[in-house]
Amino acid sequence: MTSIDVQNLTKEYGGRRAVDDLTFSVLPGRVTGFLGPNGAGKSTTMRLVLGLDRPTSGTATVGGRPYASHDEPLRQVGALLDAGAAHGSRTARDHLRALAASNRICERRVDAVLEESGLASVARRRVKTYSLGMRQRLGIAAALLGDPPVVLLDEPSNGLDPEGIIWIREVLRRLAREGRTVLVSSHLMNETASFADHLVVLGRGRLLADTPLREFIHARVRPRVRVRTTDGAALGALLARHGHEAVEDADGRWTVPHARVEDIGLLASGAGLPILELAAEEGTLEQAYLDLTAAEAEFTAVPSPTRPQEARS
Amino acid sequence: MTFAPVLHAEWIKIRTLRSLVAGLLAVLLATAAFSALAGLDDSGGQDFDPLFSVFFGVSFGQIAAITFGAQAVAAEFRGGALRVSLAAVPRRGRWFAAKVVAIGVPALAVGLVTGLVSLLVGKAVLGTRAGGLTWGEGVRGAVGCGLYLALMALFAAGLTAVLRSAVATLGILVPFLLIVSFVIGGMSGGAADFLPDRAGQVVLHETWDGALGPWTGLMVTAAWTAAALAAGAWSVRRRDA
Repeated sequence: MTSIDVQNLTKEYGGRRAVDDLTFSVLPGRVTGFLGPNGAGKSTTMRLVLGLDRPTSGTATVGGRPYASHDEPLRQVGALLDAGAAHGSRTARDHLRALAASNRICERRVDAVLEESGLASVARRRVKTYSLGMRQRLGIAAALLGDPPVVLLDEPSNGLDPEGIIWIREVLRRLAREGRTVLVSSHLMNETASFADHLVVLGRGRLLADTPLREFIHARVRPRVRVRTTDGAALGALLARHGHEAVEDADGRWTVPHARVEDIGLLASGAGLPILELAAEEGTLEQAYLDLTAAEAEFTAVPSPTRPQEARS
Repeated sequence: MTFAPVLHAEWIKIRTLRSLVAGLLAVLLATAAFSALAGLDDSGGQDFDPLFSVFFGVSFGQIAAITFGAQAVAAEFRGGALRVSLAAVPRRGRWFAAKVVAIGVPALAVGLVTGLVSLLVGKAVLGTRAGGLTWGEGVRGAVGCGLYLALMALFAAGLTAVLRSAVATLGILVPFLLIVSFVIGGMSGGAADFLPDRAGQVVLHETWDGALGPWTGLMVTAAWTAAALAAGAWSVRRRDA
């Protein structure tokens, strides 16, 4: 089984711990979103997994072996780290040809990934003429070159246009469906929520969460109900009578925390109040994430006094 | 993972960058052109050396050669290119060796052609003034020219792997070759003879009077190059990418 296994991984730069005793596994068949504020250690962890940086202590393996011990590693692991990695004066095709040659990957794969990433028509243009989104597509094409069972992508949606964002989402979903191990870092919450099945969250180099996406949200953000009737005052009184701490906004819309639409709907109809609007507000990944990282953000001067953290470190 | 695919990849990287191909061409053009110009100047006095006149352009061609070597390595230190390269080839020693071969072989090939062209052009321009020059000396100079240019390109390549920047490497080597060496040039003998460029250029002279001969001089340059490459290999292997 080709999983990524990180064991007690620590990396220090000077005296600063970029990655601090990190242990987690990334399993095949699902997309794992890799979240954390800037400087949380996501990119460093990816470089350590790829053997590009030397860990201060601990290990990182892919398929049970250190990355560097793989023969022709591009056939095992595909990675996108920097969109600017391809030399601007080289054509996209030549960039991929050199990579393919080093791992004895046939040239047909070069044309196949160029086609797949939508770059076939510009493949013979020099990379410096590319937009950031096109460079990002080239980086993803390079990651897919060896048809690897494990894929690591650092901020793949960076610079992509809306069409590109939909494309990368579908690529990630497909890779997971095909049973591959997919680790994707991002700072875009809505984006991550749209493709991830599982989350690994870092803060200041430490593991804050390693849970399925749904669980992560439900554990931190309580659902709310939004409701509007013809008689706002009557609704307010009714909700208060039943112990709901609801608040009304300027449009006469009431928001009821910790409630389900079933309860509020029945309550209103039982009281004979005509319902104009009734909606469940699911917690978003963004809310859950902010709740988790509020006190963990490296550059936050004062820790948030609101709620005790539910961090498991 | 064997060496050949890695070398193939590095060779593709060299030949698909126009600036590198142009750099190699510039080695040939600069050397031959400045050699021809030097030959036109017939004010040569007592210490006129016809062989060095034929290869006078090497002083300029070597700038192109070190630029080629520095740029070929520096291309890996821009925008995270090294990470892509080392992710594909995690055996760093092997990767650097392939890079060195992919730089050294074309530099040597172009250097030998440059030596031959300079010899033919230089002898033609000198005419009768090249009279004392034997073909044996001419061939020694041409082969020496090729070896010297390849060694200088690799010297710059090794230094660039340590400094991780072509600007830094050229900022050190170009002033060194153009100024320091010319300034010290007047003072023959002593430690200055063992500088990489002065030692290696003995082979381009018909006569010499220092401690080093044509081949021992090239060996001193080769030792400098080997030291620079060893430092570069150490740096590539030890440091985070």
